[in-house]
Amino acid sequence: MDEAKEKIWEPKIVAIVCNWCTYAGADLAGISRIQYPPNVRIMRVPCTGRINPFYILKALQEGADGVLISGCHPGECHYLTGNLIARRKFAMLKSFLTYVGLEGDRTVFTWVSASEGERFAKVIRQVTEAIRAIGPARKLVKGS
Amino acid sequence: MVTVETKVRELAKSLLEEGKIDYLIGYEEGTLPLSMTPCFIQAPEEVSRLVYNPFCVQNLAKYVTDVIFSHRENQRRVKPEERAKKVVGVVARGCTSRSIVIHLLERQYDREEVVIIGVPCDGYVDMRKLKAHLDGKEIVAGEVKDGTLLVETGEGRGEVILSQVLSDNCLVCRYNNPVIYDYMVGELVAPRQGEEEFQVVAEFSQLSDRERWEYFTREMAKCIRCYACRNACPSCYCRSCFVEQTTPRWIGLTVDPSDVQLFQLMRLFHMVGRCVDCGSCSAVCPMGVDLRTFLKKIDYDGWKLFKNRPGVSLEEPLLLGTFSESDPEDFIFHPK
Repeated sequence: MDEAKEKIWEPKIVAIVCNWCTYAGADLAGISRIQYPPNVRIMRVPCTGRINPFYILKALQEGADGVLISGCHPGECHYLTGNLIARRKFAMLKSFLTYVGLEGDRTVFTWVSASEGERFAKVIRQVTEAIRAIGPARKLVKGS
Repeated sequence: MVTVETKVRELAKSLLEEGKIDYLIGYEEGTLPLSMTPCFIQAPEEVSRLVYNPFCVQNLAKYVTDVIFSHRENQRRVKPEERAKKVVGVVARGCTSRSIVIHLLERQYDREEVVIIGVPCDGYVDMRKLKAHLDGKEIVAGEVKDGTLLVETGEGRGEVILSQVLSDNCLVCRYNNPVIYDYMVGELVAPRQGEEEFQVVAEFSQLSDRERWEYFTREMAKCIRCYACRNACPSCYCRSCFVEQTTPRWIGLTVDPSDVQLFQLMRLFHMVGRCVDCGSCSAVCPMGVDLRTFLKKIDYDGWKLFKNRPGVSLEEPLLLGTFSESDPEDFIFHPK
């Protein structure tokens, strides 16, 4: 049973993206018909600075195998400094999660601008493969 | 020699009499031997209740927000033109003063609303360590004399060297003098070197991922979610805390281990740039959960990555309230 489950297991990735850059980048990837794996569920927020670290942990608890956070490149934030404030928060979060023994690689942070449809597709492809390599999430998962 | 305790009483009395403060937060004898609890004094004749000794554990900054916030709530019933601020006096050690700095930076109250009575601190006694030292014998009474703790247990008298039973955080404390104060009682003490300040982090980081996660889950399995850590923490002053929120319900009210782990992870992470390592949370934990190993990591990262030490100066902005163009970016993923 478990083996069969493993075989059909596909990584589930929650992508929390900012409205102004990465969401538009994903849209561009879509309208340019660039192919990328369907493992990602996109959640749109106004800005990466608005992301509560709780979203990331909650996603991991509720069964996501990976969480991808993406926003505007530093210096290009729609709200000028939202992503710079977020960068500090994420640096602390990633280091802390790794420290307690959670796989730090399950949380990925990147920047994708509105004109980078190809980069968005690349990120999704590579992150999906990286999460696939780590395997299904077992730690912090509710009911496991 | 006039002790710090007597000086605190005298100062508190004169401040209350002169009306410079409306309220004083200090320590008094608790109901159990060698346990001191916070006390709240409004009348000058009550100052004899005040004590100050190495058994004063709690960080009193917690009660500054409590008193000011509840006073503010009461003032809602008063006509706007008749509203008055209450000035709170607080007996503050190094860690308490750092917590007050954090409150001030987070604009929870004005500097005029608090009068800080600074006291020197050489560390407080960790009751768990003391009990382990006495093989669990019941403590009946005790006193400190020249760095030695004379304890009377149910089975006789004993002597313990004070430095052996001081709390872990006090042993590596760099800020044992108040960082800000209005009145300083007693002499400033020499700061500890704190060379091994982050040793606990270095040691824990040496373990493998699996060992670290096992340690974390084992510690968190002890947690009964009484929220004593949150209630004692001076940085946890939110009137509405995420653990009690129902829209959204952040933390499930189940016995699932992941719910407890999530609660702890989030409470710990809320301490980014706000933990002063006062040890209140660990001291009040009824289950003895090791929180410090994890809190210290947050402190360490803040220092290593952003050169930030929580609450040491009113000029330095909060860790997450600011940013720099040159913040580390090595964790950002770039596709090949």
